[in-house]
Amino acid sequence: MHKVISRRALGALASAAMLAGVLGGCSTQATTTGAEGSAPADGSPAANAVELQIFAANSLEKAMPEVEKLYTERTGVTFADTQYKGSGDLVEQMRGGAPVDILITASSGTMDDAAEADLVDEATRQDMFVNDLVVVRAAGSDIQVNALEDVAAVDGNIAIGEPGAVPAGKYANQALASVGLYTNPEGEDGAYADSIASKVVEADKVGTAAQYVATGDCAIGFVYTSDVYRYDGIEVAYTCPDDSHKPIVYPGAVAASSKNAEAAADFLEFCMTDEDALAIWAEYGFELA
Amino acid sequence: MESTTQHISAQGGPGTAPGPLPVCAAAQTGGLRGGREDRAPRRPGSAARPSAASPACLLAARFALAVLAVACLCMLAAPHAAWAQEAAEAEEGSAVAECAAFGVSGFTRYNTGAARLVDGEDVGYRYPLPEDCTLVLVNTDEGVYVHVDETAAARAGFAPDDAGDFEALRVILEQLDEEASKGGALLADDPGTSWTVTTGDEVEVGAARVRFAVEAGGRRYCSVVPADVPAGMTPQEAAAAQGIDLGDAVRWVEGGQIVAAREIARAEAPTAPDQLAAFFANLDLRPLWVSLKTSGVALAVTFALGLLAAWRTMGTSSRLKGLLDSVFTIPMVLPPTVCGFLLLLVFGQATPVGRWLIDHGVALVFTWPAAVLSAIVVSFPLMYRTALGAFESLDPQMLDAARTLGWSEGRIFRRLMMPLAWPSVAAGTVLAFARAMGEFGCTLFFAGNYAGVTQTIPIAIYFEWMSGNTDVALFWVAVVIALSFAVILFINVYTARSQRYRARGITRGGRRQDAGAPPAAQQATDTVRLDQEALRALLAQPADGAEAAGDKGHAARQSGEKGRR
Repeated sequence: MHKVISRRALGALASAAMLAGVLGGCSTQATTTGAEGSAPADGSPAANAVELQIFAANSLEKAMPEVEKLYTERTGVTFADTQYKGSGDLVEQMRGGAPVDILITASSGTMDDAAEADLVDEATRQDMFVNDLVVVRAAGSDIQVNALEDVAAVDGNIAIGEPGAVPAGKYANQALASVGLYTNPEGEDGAYADSIASKVVEADKVGTAAQYVATGDCAIGFVYTSDVYRYDGIEVAYTCPDDSHKPIVYPGAVAASSKNAEAAADFLEFCMTDEDALAIWAEYGFELA
Repeated sequence: MESTTQHISAQGGPGTAPGPLPVCAAAQTGGLRGGREDRAPRRPGSAARPSAASPACLLAARFALAVLAVACLCMLAAPHAAWAQEAAEAEEGSAVAECAAFGVSGFTRYNTGAARLVDGEDVGYRYPLPEDCTLVLVNTDEGVYVHVDETAAARAGFAPDDAGDFEALRVILEQLDEEASKGGALLADDPGTSWTVTTGDEVEVGAARVRFAVEAGGRRYCSVVPADVPAGMTPQEAAAAQGIDLGDAVRWVEGGQIVAAREIARAEAPTAPDQLAAFFANLDLRPLWVSLKTSGVALAVTFALGLLAAWRTMGTSSRLKGLLDSVFTIPMVLPPTVCGFLLLLVFGQATPVGRWLIDHGVALVFTWPAAVLSAIVVSFPLMYRTALGAFESLDPQMLDAARTLGWSEGRIFRRLMMPLAWPSVAAGTVLAFARAMGEFGCTLFFAGNYAGVTQTIPIAIYFEWMSGNTDVALFWVAVVIALSFAVILFINVYTARSQRYRARGITRGGRRQDAGAPPAAQQATDTVRLDQEALRALLAQPADGAEAAGDKGHAARQSGEKGRR
């Protein structure tokens, strides 16, 4: 029995040592990968193969992959896993040191933040899309919203993007402020009026707000027109007037840290001029700026 | 998968032509749909129930696992099965009418246009059109306008003046519109809308004029221009001058080809296994590999570090031990997001420490090693705590006994502590692995969500659900449940086995010793006692052995005295 036990102990130790060895190997690898400073963009061993890392506003989640696919077919340029988050999160992630080639946000404000922090090349900045802010309800729901004031009377929760990270939330708050349901006309750092304060559910990106409405967790939500085309089960109840919020534009720019700045600029150009790419944006409801 | 095909009967539109058509239409769609949807969801639940009642533990567990897998597959298949019945034989983006000779193919919906110039030419606010487009549908506030190319219509056998053809076309277009809507508003939403079919080139809608097919830059567009464009002005200049928003004149535009019904390729209605195969073909399995790889490597580190920390902490003075213990355990108490945030601060570019590290080649943020580090941080306390608990429950007298035998600390750890504490350590290892697999907050914060690099299963579930791919999310949920089940099963089976082995070991030891062997009933209840029993048996063995029997027997007696003191 003594032998049995010691063999076990030995086995355990041996496996521990082996695993530690594996780890040792991994950590060396990790350091070298880190030194290149483009870990997620790795996996492109060929010297001339370009892989672009795009950070795009969450609302582009369904349309952008199709445009990327089209571009890959045309040019062979590939794309690392594109990040679709709230624009504020994307800028924070860039600040955190994530390697990026192209940033597309859903508001001028977030792009300004990125520009101020020298994260993007200001010379390449251009307005790409415009969008509309809409109030959505679950498909088939009988909720009626005929004016922004009606939002206060809706029975059920209201999904709004978290204004710090989600531009759609900021626009929504601006619209609410125009009818006195939010205190700060800038759409941030304010408080909701008592009539809706307890009903507001904040979402971490505009897609989450749309999803809350689609699943019935919220009765209505503030999203973009284009979001209606990428989520099943929601429909437009009301389109917010253009003058109730700041104009919704999607600026795009090449990241300052990009190692493929030229290829990145080419792709932005393609997005805005190629007629097949334009057809994809049109399908998904993105109007070119 | 969702936009396969529609088999449309030439009826269904409101206020329509007479004849036997309405009957055939209503019967087909209504009957099939209702029956299927009712049946499908009930399958998983009813199948899963009997497994819980099964008696034989292990068998039941295996059976439950199998049932779980089947149930999950059913859940995935159910919506598709419903589709398979409803859909019929036309390829994607096309539809035919049963009672008409024509159909529509290559159908696409464009929800917005663009005011950009085409090759430097201002054609107004323009919507793209599919290639070889012979049918354009424009939905406006004033009604729906359908333009058909005259020659194409004649070839397809469509007569714009014929009421029956008109209604058939409307039904086809409403069906195709629903397929292509991507969840947007539908033509069918508003049955009262007036429909106009025309072979003309343009139509006036309020202050705007819609030109159905404009050639520009080698392509065709449907463009919106002001109704009145003064000479010398481009359409957009005129719109700006007159204050018309061309983009608001039209809700959306759709295009396709009107063709004879026989020209539309009939597609086989996909069967449920095909749908399932297609689902798995499109499924990105990388989250599973990333998860296994990440938690595997994390576990290796956690295992070594956790044991080392537990072993070292055990021997230290109580005050230092308290401090070390808190430091080692705190990641378990902290919310994972806090761990992630702290890691991001330490390794990210936002802090001097992070910048210094990055300058010296340690750029971890949003990389795979970051995911591993996150998993290590959150799983380490589990390994450490279980190992420490197990080590502390060992009888210190036994360890002292071994010391008096001249065993080195390392040897005591390897030969005495590890074997005795092994069941707890093994359980701790499995728990740590499960925790590493399930890590979400810290990984998301520190390593981000990069598919194939840092996207583990829990992160995939969240993001797939968020982006509306509920079936994929469900699949991963099923995988996680199956994995967790396997882990728990493994712990149970392993514990049962190791106890069997211990029971056997003690009986053997007991046989060698004379009287005073503990009764068998006691062994199963008290683990600490069990350890002592096993240890005694272990120490007794060499005493019985051939070599150096006298020496070791003496030492054992000594250790007994030491313990009593």
